[in-house]
Amino acid sequence: MKFLGWDTKKIRRLNLATHRDLGYFFSSLILVYCISGIALNHVDDWNGDFIIKRHNIALDKKYQPSEINPQTINQISSKVEEKKYKVYDFPTPDQVKIYYDNSTMHVYLNEGRAIYEQVSKRPVFYQFNVLHRNSLKGWKWASDIFAFLLIVITITGLFILKGKHGIKGRGKWLIAGGLLPPIVAIIIQALL
Amino acid sequence: MKIFSKFSGFFAILAMMVLTLVNSSCQNNASANQQAESGQKIGVLLVNHGSRSATWRQALLDLETSVKDKIMADGTVKGTKTAFMEYNEPSIATRLKEFDAEGYTDVILVPIFLTVSPHTFDDIPTIIGQKEDPHSMEALKIEKIERYTPKARTFLAPNLDFTDIIKKNVLARVQKLTKDAPNEGLVLIGYGDESYDKEWGALFDQVAEYVKQEVGITAHSYGWCGHIAHYDPQKTTDAIQKVLDTKKQAVVVPVLVAHDEMFQVKIIGDGINKIKDNQNRVYYKPDAILPDKNVEQWVVDITTEFVQKVQTAQKNS
Repeated sequence: MKFLGWDTKKIRRLNLATHRDLGYFFSSLILVYCISGIALNHVDDWNGDFIIKRHNIALDKKYQPSEINPQTINQISSKVEEKKYKVYDFPTPDQVKIYYDNSTMHVYLNEGRAIYEQVSKRPVFYQFNVLHRNSLKGWKWASDIFAFLLIVITITGLFILKGKHGIKGRGKWLIAGGLLPPIVAIIIQALL
Repeated sequence: MKIFSKFSGFFAILAMMVLTLVNSSCQNNASANQQAESGQKIGVLLVNHGSRSATWRQALLDLETSVKDKIMADGTVKGTKTAFMEYNEPSIATRLKEFDAEGYTDVILVPIFLTVSPHTFDDIPTIIGQKEDPHSMEALKIEKIERYTPKARTFLAPNLDFTDIIKKNVLARVQKLTKDAPNEGLVLIGYGDESYDKEWGALFDQVAEYVKQEVGITAHSYGWCGHIAHYDPQKTTDAIQKVLDTKKQAVVVPVLVAHDEMFQVKIIGDGINKIKDNQNRVYYKPDAILPDKNVEQWVVDITTEFVQKVQTAQKNS
């Protein structure tokens, strides 16, 4: 049987090979995007990029802004065993923020308390998110190629099987079923 | 001689004006000459948040156009530029590199930001090498925001809330919307900030109290439309509903630097649309703080103030 002058058996074999080999090749990247996609979906509830440890620190006393000098900054820093600060600055007249190597301390002077914050990258998720968000220069083009080839993988996947398990059989119903969630979501969005 | 005595008052005033002009011109020239002698070259960089909205960006570029001539009038400041912190070029790093390449020795950064936030307090100082905030450094890397420590000395001016500009700005906008003050409630919608929520709330309360006193409105509320509110229009709806519980109408004012379709139209607009009978109960114009002559004047004034600081710093060094 011929299709546009091509042997359909040959087309099917090519289709299958394309789907299989692209699937193998992109399997790791698909996983990277799926895992980081879940993380980014929940970015408002969970910080996938960083582990931020915040500790509430009770200071020995309340401070007046005029009391703040390198000596008092060192005293406050000793509460969290930070020996050397880089710089300190006042975001508001009654607050001071102290910067260390990998941490900061936000001091509420007239409340006698501070928040000590340590930041570190969340392993695996940070790196996955860097790719997903195109935070790497030039990665945009790699992700464009990846997206295009995902379309190829999807389309070739539609024509792998023939008969009742193929696109003409149960396939068409499953495709229609898969179309429903986005269509319903768009309708709901338009109505609200 | 008679004519002279008749117009002596006029001639005296004229002479005074001429002398003042000459004196001022001499002072300016002296300041510019001093600069030339010391090899000092001062530039001004207007820094803003940046936005995907072209309208928003244009408003910030227009601000620079409006103040440029005034800032450079006396010859002390040799150039002005605008930089976008996020999303767009020219970025802060790009502009600082340009200032370096053009031989500037000092750059005054004027942040066009409403009030304190990690952007103005941590991110911008980290970008220009004044601070090394660990969180900012990592976040900037992810956002692909380049850090650059210029050869020129940098001076960072305060935010817009430094004076009563915001109060006057919101008042003027409310006066255009209000129809029946005693039966209206004022609703201010701003971006908001997680780290300085208390300070943002206090600022919005201050602004609202001032406007209420001037206009005769007796109730107010505020809501956030930015990241802290997950860009959710419902927060706008809630803030409006709060005043509508006791008042017939709500006057809604976006306290945002410039017009961004995403915020003034989509988020705040959608929030208003959820209010029953909103066409009769909500007075709203999707405008912004800019353009505002007071903001322009503030940029000129704060620049003049910082130029003096820069010159003092130069003398001391």
